[in-house]
Amino acid sequence: MSELFTLPVLLGILYSGIRLATPYLYAAIGETFAQRSGVYNLGVEGIMLMGAYTAFYVASISGDLWLGLGAAAGVGAMLGLLMAFVSVTLRAEQGISGIGLHLFGLGLSTLLFKTTLGGVTSISGFQPVRIPFLADIPLLGDALFNHNLLVYVAFLLVPVANWVINDTTLGLKIRAVGQNPAAADSLGVSVGKIRYLTVTVGGVFAGIAGASLSIALINLFQENMTNGQGFIAVALVYFGGWRPWGVLGGAMLFSLVNALQLWIQVAGIELESDIAVMLPYLLTIVALAVAVRRAQQPAALSKPFERGEA
Amino acid sequence: MNTFSTRIRWAAAAALLLAACAPAAAPTSAPVPTAEPQIIEVTRVVAGTPEVQVITATPPPAAPAETFRVAIVMPSSTTDMAFSQSMYEGLLAVQREMGGEGAMEIAYSEGMFSVPDAAAALRDYASQGYDLVIAHGSQYGTSLAQLAPEFPETSFAWGTALDTFQAQGVTNVFAYQAEAQQGGYVLGTIAALMSESGVIGISGPVEAGDAKLYVDGFKFGAESAKAGTKVNVSYTGSFSDVSLMAAAAETHVAAGADMLTGSSQSVVGAIGVAKDQGAYWFGTQWEQTFLAPEAVVASQVYDWTGIIKDMIASHQAGVLGGKSYTLTFKNGGLVIA
Amino acid sequence: MNTSARTPLRELKMVDIVKRFPGVLANDGVNFDVRAGEVHALLGENGAGKSTLMRQLYGLYKPDSGQIIIDGQPRVFQSPADAIHAGVGMIHQHFMLVSSLTVAENVALGLASTRGPRLDLDRVAERIRGLAERYGLKVDPSAVVWQLSVGEQQRVEILKALYRGASLLVLDEPTAVLTPQEAQELFVTLRQMADDGHALIFISHKLHEVLALSHRVTVLRDGRLVGTYPTAEMTRADLARLMVGREVLLQYDRPPAQPGETRLQIDGLWAIGDRGVDAVRDFSLTVRAGEVVGLAGVSGNGQRELAEVLTGLRQPSRGKVTLNGRDVTHASPAERIAAGQCAIPEERMRTGVIKDFSVLENAILCDHSHRPFSRNTVLNFGEIAAHTRRLIADYAVKTPTAETPIKNLSGGNIQKLILARELCRKPTVIIAAQPTRGVDIGASEYIHHRLLEQRAAGTATLLISEDLDEIRALSDRIAVIFEGRLMGVVDAATATAESLGLMMAGTRQTE
Repeated sequence: MSELFTLPVLLGILYSGIRLATPYLYAAIGETFAQRSGVYNLGVEGIMLMGAYTAFYVASISGDLWLGLGAAAGVGAMLGLLMAFVSVTLRAEQGISGIGLHLFGLGLSTLLFKTTLGGVTSISGFQPVRIPFLADIPLLGDALFNHNLLVYVAFLLVPVANWVINDTTLGLKIRAVGQNPAAADSLGVSVGKIRYLTVTVGGVFAGIAGASLSIALINLFQENMTNGQGFIAVALVYFGGWRPWGVLGGAMLFSLVNALQLWIQVAGIELESDIAVMLPYLLTIVALAVAVRRAQQPAALSKPFERGEA
Repeated sequence: MNTFSTRIRWAAAAALLLAACAPAAAPTSAPVPTAEPQIIEVTRVVAGTPEVQVITATPPPAAPAETFRVAIVMPSSTTDMAFSQSMYEGLLAVQREMGGEGAMEIAYSEGMFSVPDAAAALRDYASQGYDLVIAHGSQYGTSLAQLAPEFPETSFAWGTALDTFQAQGVTNVFAYQAEAQQGGYVLGTIAALMSESGVIGISGPVEAGDAKLYVDGFKFGAESAKAGTKVNVSYTGSFSDVSLMAAAAETHVAAGADMLTGSSQSVVGAIGVAKDQGAYWFGTQWEQTFLAPEAVVASQVYDWTGIIKDMIASHQAGVLGGKSYTLTFKNGGLVIA
Repeated sequence: MNTSARTPLRELKMVDIVKRFPGVLANDGVNFDVRAGEVHALLGENGAGKSTLMRQLYGLYKPDSGQIIIDGQPRVFQSPADAIHAGVGMIHQHFMLVSSLTVAENVALGLASTRGPRLDLDRVAERIRGLAERYGLKVDPSAVVWQLSVGEQQRVEILKALYRGASLLVLDEPTAVLTPQEAQELFVTLRQMADDGHALIFISHKLHEVLALSHRVTVLRDGRLVGTYPTAEMTRADLARLMVGREVLLQYDRPPAQPGETRLQIDGLWAIGDRGVDAVRDFSLTVRAGEVVGLAGVSGNGQRELAEVLTGLRQPSRGKVTLNGRDVTHASPAERIAAGQCAIPEERMRTGVIKDFSVLENAILCDHSHRPFSRNTVLNFGEIAAHTRRLIADYAVKTPTAETPIKNLSGGNIQKLILARELCRKPTVIIAAQPTRGVDIGASEYIHHRLLEQRAAGTATLLISEDLDEIRALSDRIAVIFEGRLMGVVDAATATAESLGLMMAGTRQTE
C-alpha cells in the first residue's frame, strides 16, 4: 500500500483524475441546465457520440481542431433542439425519448464512422498548454496546469454555470420553470423558450464533451467510444444535487477513484481487478447514500408543461 | 524515418525471435496440447467417444455447386482492429480464395454486445438457411447451445471456446480458440529486451478468455527473457471503454513503463497514449501498426482462414460440427506482423 | 425597466364574452366592467364561469368572441405577459409561487434587472419593503417561500402584482385559506389599494365578505350574467337568491341538542404526518349521540391527519380512540364501518370514490360483499341497480344514468352520492371532513340538511371543516385545532368569530 501513497503517484492520480473528469463535466453541467428547467435529457450519451464523431471527422479533413470543436457544438445544438422539440413541444415522455436519442446518436455515429472513416485512425488533438507561473508551482503545478485547453474550459465552466444559475435573471427563470412552471408562466416567463434554451445548451455541452474525447484527450474516434459516460453524467447531476459545484465534486470523486483503482492495479496491490474496476461505482453509490439531499430536485423535473392544467 | 527503420528492425527481430524462441517457448508458455507436427488439431467426437483425427493439410473447399452461405454475429465492429476484425478479414480472405461472392456469401451482425440481441440474430441467420453461422464471442455460448439442436442442417461455430457441446448431445457446433499466450510470450520477450526502464505495462479488458491468456503469456515471456523486468498488469473491466484504457496506459507510463500492450478493441485509446508519451506498443488480435507506425513495434495477428476453410470443407463433407480448433503459431493461425 | 411608471388604467370592460369548452358553454355573452378606485365583487357558484372569465382577462384563455377594452382601446391578450403589461395582476387561488425561491426572487422573476443580466435582488428587496410598508403587507424579502405561512404567501402574491405596476388586481377567492383575522387584515390592505386608485376584482362565494368589502357586485350563474348591482343596495338573501336562482335558507332552524351517551372518544392522540413530524399532538375530544361537534382550523393544522387516523387510514403513534365503547385505535377501516362509523372523506376523488367506476359501482363500494348485493362472491346486479336508483332518487343525485362514470358528475353530485352511500348504513358516528368543499350552495344546503337529520336521529357527528360559516351553522360545540393541538372547545351558540379566529391563530381558549 505504501507504494501508492508516494507523492508522484498521488500527483499522477490527480492528473489522470482531472483528465477523466473533463467529458463528465461538460456533459453533466449541460444536463444540469436542462434539469434545472425541468427537462430530463437521457440522450446525452447519443449527443456525445455524435459530437465526438463530428469533431474528429471535421478536424481530420479540415486539419482545423477549432472547426471540429465548433462542428461538434453545432451538432450538439441540433440534437438538443430535437430533444427540446420532442419533450417540450410534443410533450413526449422524456425518459423514453432520451433513450431514443441515445440510440439515434449511437447508430448514426457508427454508420457515419463506417462510411466516412472506415476504421480507426488517430489525429493530433489539442496539445497541453502550460500556464505560465501556475505550472511552475512546485508539486501541484504540473498536475493542475499542464493540460489541454478543453480541460481548463471544463473546470472554468463550473463557476460560470453556478453564476448563471444563481445570480442572473436567466438563471432565476430557469430555476422557476423547473420548480413551478405554472407560476413562471403566470408572470409572463415563456416556459417553452426557457426549456428549449437549456436543452439546446445542454446539447452543445454534450457535443463538446464528445469532442473533448475525440480531439483533445484520446484523439481518435471509435464506435460507441463514450461507453456509457453520458449516462454517468446524468447520474452525476443527481449526485451533485443539481448544483454545478456538486457536479464538480461528483465528477472529481468518480474520476479520482477511477484513476486510483488503475494505480492500485498497476502498483500490483493485491486486489481482484473486478473489484478494483467497481470501486468508482461503489464509492459513488456510498457517497450518494450518505449524503442524501433531495431538497434541490426540480419539482417539475420530467413533467411536460401545459398551460391551464392546475 | 528513424521510427520507420526502428520498426523494420524490430519486426526483423521479432521474426528471428519467433524462429528462435517459439519452439522453446511453446511448451512452457501454457498447457497447449502440442505433440506431433500437424496443421490443425481436431478433436472429433462420435457418439460421445473422443477420437483424435489428424488432418495434414487443408485443401481449399471444393468449388460448390451453389453459393456457400456464412453468417457471423460479433460483439464489436468489423473495423475494431482487434477480435472482430480478425475474423471478418479471415472470412473475406477465404471468400476471395473460393472465388468471390458468387461462391461464398458473407452476412454479418456487428456491435452485438447485448447477448439477447446476438441470440436473436443467430436465430435469424439459422432460420434463413445459412450453411455456417458463427457466434464470435465466448459470451454467446449458452444461447448457441440452446439454438443449435433446433437447426440440425446448419453448422454453427463458437469462439473463443473449446466446448462443442457434445456432452449435451449437440453435434453441429464447431469451437475455436486462439492460443493467444503464444504470441503474448513472444511479444513479451521482445518487450523485455527492448525496454530501457525495465518496466512493462499491460492493460487488459476483462480478466478472462483470450485476453487473460495473452496477458499472462506476455508477462511470463517478459519475465523469463530478462531477469528483473517489472511487469505491471491492470484491467479496465470493459471491452469497449476507450477512455479508461487510455487512462490505464497513461498510468502505466507514469509508473515507468516504456513498453505497453493490451487487448480488446478498446486499446486504440492506449495506442494513442503510447504514441504521445514516446512509449512502444505491442498489439494483439489484429495488425495495429498503421494507427501509430512509430509506436507499434509488432502485433500478434489472428489468422482464422485455415479454420474457416476446414469448417467449410467439413460441412460440405457432411460433418456439421463436433470439432474443436486452436490457433497456434505452428499451424499458422497466429502470425506476428 | 420597471413597469410601474405606466399610466394606471382607469376602466376595463369585458364585452359580450363567449367561451366554449367541449360540451360546456362556460361564458355566454358576459359583460363586466371595473373602474379605478373600486372593489368589484364577482359572485357565483362553482362552475358559474367566474374563473373562466378572469382567465381570459389574464391572457390564460382567449375568448371565442367578445372584446376586452381598456380605457376605450380594444386589447387582445395572447399570454399573461400581455395582461401584465397592460397593468393586470392576478392573485390565483392556488398560489403561483416557486416555493424553493425567496420572496425577492419570486417578485423579480421574469422582470428585467437594473444590472443587465445580473440579478439586482438587493434593490428588489428595497422596493418590496417600500410597498409592504405602504399597504401593510409585512413580509421578509429574503425569506424562502416554503417557510412562510399561507397568509404571508398571499401577501407575496399581492406584492408581485403591485411590484409589476398592476393597477387592476384580480383576487380569486383570497380568503379561502385565511383565518378570520387574516381576512380582516387583507380587507384593510385591499381598501387601501382601492383608495390609492387601484381597480380590484374580488372573486368569492362568501356573501358576508362581498357585502363587507365591495362597492359593486356582479353575479354569474351557469355561465351567464345575472346582473351588476351596487353592493350597498343588496342583502345577503338577495345575493344568495341571485347566485342560486331560488330562495336559499341561510340559517338552519334546529332544535337544541340533546346529547346522549358518548359515541366517539379521542384520548391524547398523536400522529405523524407525511413530512415525518407530529401532525396531531395530544388531541382529546368527545362526541356524543345527537350532537354535531365542529372542528375548526386553518388548512394544514392536522385536520386531515386526524381524519385519517379516525377512519383507519393512518396509524396513530400514541393515544386511544374509542368508538361505541370499543377500542378502535388501530382498527382497520372495515372494522370501524362494522362498529357503526361512516366517513365523508376530505379528498372525495381520491379516497371517496373510484373515479373511473360507474355511479352504480361506487354506490356499493363498501357493501358489495354482503347480501343482498352479492351471494358467495357473485354480485347481484338486479338488487344493486335497484338500490342505486333508490339512492339517486332519495339524495337528488343528478346523473344521466347509473352507469355513467362518476368522474363525469359535478362535485356536489359526487358528494351527495357518497353521503347517500354512507348514510344508508344507518351509522351511529359520522366523520365528515370538508363535506361541502367545492360543492355549490344548493348541494351544500342539501348535504347540511341531511347531516342535521342524522343529528335529530341521534347520530354523533364530528364535522371537520375549514369553512367557519359551515361550522357555525351546523355545530352544537366547536373545537379548534392549531398545529395539531386542541386549542379549546366552545359552545357554538355563544362563540364569536373573533374568539374562534384567535384560537385558529394559535391562542388557547382562556376561561
